[in-house]
Amino acid sequence: MHETDILDLSDDADYAASQQQGSRSISRCSSDRRSEPSGAEVVFVKDNVAIHPTQYASERIRGRLRLIKQGTCLFMTWIPYKEIGSGGGAFGHSDARLSDKDRNLYSIRAVPVTDIRSIRRHTPTLGWQYVIVVLSSGLAFPPLYFYNGGVREFLATLKQHAVLVRSADDANLFLLNDFQDPLQRSLSSLELPRAVSVAPTSTSESSSSSSVSSNRLEDGRSYSEYQKHRQKSNDPARDLSIQVLEKFSLVTKFARETTSHIFGEIHNDNLITNDRKNQAPIVLNSNNDVDNSGLESASTESSVAADPIESLSFSKQKSSCRKENCCEEASTTVGSFELVDCKEFDKMTLVWGKPRQPPLGTEEWATFLDAEGRILDSNDLRKRIFYGGVEHQLRKELISIIYLLWLQIWKILLGCHDYDSTYAEREYLSSIKKVEYEALKRQWQSISVAQAKKFTKFRERKALIDKDVVRTDRSVTFYDGDDNPNVMLLRDVLLTYSFYNFDLGYCQGMSDLLSPILFVMEDESEAFWCFVALMERLGPNFNRDQSGMHSQLFALSMLVELLDKPLHNYFKQKDCLNYFFCFRWVLIQFKREFHYEQTMRMWEVLWTHYLSEHLHLYACVAILKKHRKKIMGEEMDFDTLLKFINDLSGHIDLDATLRDAEALCVCAGENGAALIPPGTPPSLPLESNLLYSQQDEL
Amino acid sequence: MSYAYLFKYIIIGDTGVGKSCLLLQFTDKRFQPVHDLTIGVEFGARMITIDNKPIKLQIWDTAGQESFRSITRSYYRGAAGALLVYDITRRETFNHLASWLEDARQHANANMTIMLIGNKCDLAHRRAVSTEEGEQFAKENGLIFMEASAKTAQNVEEAFISTAATIYKKIQDGVFDVSNESYGIKVGYGGIPGPSGGRDGSTSQAGGCCS
Repeated sequence: MHETDILDLSDDADYAASQQQGSRSISRCSSDRRSEPSGAEVVFVKDNVAIHPTQYASERIRGRLRLIKQGTCLFMTWIPYKEIGSGGGAFGHSDARLSDKDRNLYSIRAVPVTDIRSIRRHTPTLGWQYVIVVLSSGLAFPPLYFYNGGVREFLATLKQHAVLVRSADDANLFLLNDFQDPLQRSLSSLELPRAVSVAPTSTSESSSSSSVSSNRLEDGRSYSEYQKHRQKSNDPARDLSIQVLEKFSLVTKFARETTSHIFGEIHNDNLITNDRKNQAPIVLNSNNDVDNSGLESASTESSVAADPIESLSFSKQKSSCRKENCCEEASTTVGSFELVDCKEFDKMTLVWGKPRQPPLGTEEWATFLDAEGRILDSNDLRKRIFYGGVEHQLRKELISIIYLLWLQIWKILLGCHDYDSTYAEREYLSSIKKVEYEALKRQWQSISVAQAKKFTKFRERKALIDKDVVRTDRSVTFYDGDDNPNVMLLRDVLLTYSFYNFDLGYCQGMSDLLSPILFVMEDESEAFWCFVALMERLGPNFNRDQSGMHSQLFALSMLVELLDKPLHNYFKQKDCLNYFFCFRWVLIQFKREFHYEQTMRMWEVLWTHYLSEHLHLYACVAILKKHRKKIMGEEMDFDTLLKFINDLSGHIDLDATLRDAEALCVCAGENGAALIPPGTPPSLPLESNLLYSQQDEL
Repeated sequence: MSYAYLFKYIIIGDTGVGKSCLLLQFTDKRFQPVHDLTIGVEFGARMITIDNKPIKLQIWDTAGQESFRSITRSYYRGAAGALLVYDITRRETFNHLASWLEDARQHANANMTIMLIGNKCDLAHRRAVSTEEGEQFAKENGLIFMEASAKTAQNVEEAFISTAATIYKKIQDGVFDVSNESYGIKVGYGGIPGPSGGRDGSTSQAGGCCS
């Protein structure tokens, strides 16, 4: 398959020769002077070696694979061809969807062969031969497809210049730099920062940093020294831009799995076995025919484009473990890395945010307050609740002090009380508000039967609310049974709210939002004002024209595009960009997706507005990403996707979701925030007088 | 479980007319007066047999409130059958039928079979819409009509099955191109060999195992 006509090879003197001769070894320095360090010798070159970033033939990237020798070091490079006329003209039919950025992303610039742990050869009976190169860090490059053949020659050349042995267990697995000492190998496997070094920076930089790290094992540099080196080369996540994340995309899920596997072994056996057959790489940065040694079925795994930021999870997770009991700024820990006690890794999962903390209890709560009850540092408190929530005491009557804590904190988080209010001020305000509530409630209570007959809107709203409160959380003890007074409270508060905010009125979903609030407050007036405060943020969710929902779903689509381009492209292809399948998640803040208790925890975290006002959207992204492989692998269409998402209800891991959401939020950083239009709920609207532009339905 | 055909149904109508209860009665054969109100959409499924052929009904139970209409409209796509439900004890739910029908006509495919259901017929003493009015509306708009009760299960089975039978007949009459899934019909693997072949077939032209 030759489509060389579309490639701009005019600046490449080697090209013509290699086209004629196919694969060959070059015994002296190549005429290509651009990417090799001086004094380098190209010992192998192969053209038309391709990477398939997606399953689409049009998005394949072809390039040139080379082995370059400099001194005693052998380097492997794969550089994609440049392209002309992208997107147009007679030549633009292939590769046209790839930007230069995409190409650069996949470039392999001067990876020292000493960094390579293994190469797996695949020789399918149909299709091209390919290899998967796995670094000793556990990272794997996408499969390299040899369109013109030459895998055998590539391996032969490697064998000439490096220690390459065929695995005893697998004839297609070739091992390089086989460390004898298991501890050394485990250290080497941990060397995540090498992921940075394989990312395309300038060649000299990348090769030198790689050399440093690969030499470390020999010269016995201490880990702390190594850390210093790392600190320089790896900025904290505060500076992480998406571009950096893209560079990280060469790190694959395999990295984590392998490491997890290794740590599992250390933990269980105190020794890494030499058995390599379980370490066959799963390469997620590419698509076709990947070696499935674990996880899900081949069919779902094989054609799914890689998660562009999965890699980050690896480093993040490690840093999380390190910071186990520490509230350090999340953003500073992303990307940092430290060798830690192995046993912290034995439960390594796909989760990759900061570990959740235990909920805030009464004793600790006291430390946030001054003598008069003012919150000393609102940011501190919000952060603390963000990471752990508030202690819930379900038997409230027994431990009233915790109940009060819970109640007070919700009121503060929702903005019913100022952070710097005193105990006395809060109490006073509550009593004032109670009177105010009673007055509001009397507005509809005083409507006589005769008046109601002439007040259609009231009758209809009341009928709707009456119908809905008996269909709200009746399986929760607090609301169960016949003639439950709490159900009546629910109705009274909703009806009062529909008078308080007559423009918005009542809409289905509101009872879901009020139910936990009333459960916590147990007091009608308190619940009402908390609900009012919540609706300040979420009222637009219930706009008749659905504008509030649409703006959030739109922001969600932007975030997915930023944080998972392949998934975004998939949704686009399947005509799913309206994100209606996330409608319920957003409308009632995951109320139907988690158990009651968990919902309340979720809300506390969301309400802190700690990292973002829109953490719920990042939570949506997190859940979607969690299932991206299944969604794309099974080629779900809108209907199937909607059902799949619906069926996730009750099966979503809250802590994992929050951790992922946090990590995604940090990753997206200002880029993410910039994608969410101002005024997108729960941000307050730009112009409050246009809050509820309702058209009467009734 | 293999099926000859899969039909997508959608249940629509005002809030509180008993859509979810009808679904639950059909799929689980029980009536649950206390259940959470539907936000967005819920799903149910059941196998039935028509003409000795196993047919799977995948049923979409939608939220009825007006505000959610724009979302609900996106669910019509690819529905083979619709159950349009009103509550015989609430006149307004009958009055709103025209607007529901308009939505269905506009957003579903033209050949969608629509069954009009006057629900809660066990509450005859509170009846606000006569059977004749229901029949009349159905006749004028080319719908199948039944009064049913999700509570007593009266006509529930019949409503779902006769809708399926109508769809099935349309297939037999060649109204649908069953290989085109926009009609809300999928041909099952264990079913009728259609001209389109298996959907899950490998794209590889080489036969045999593709592992």
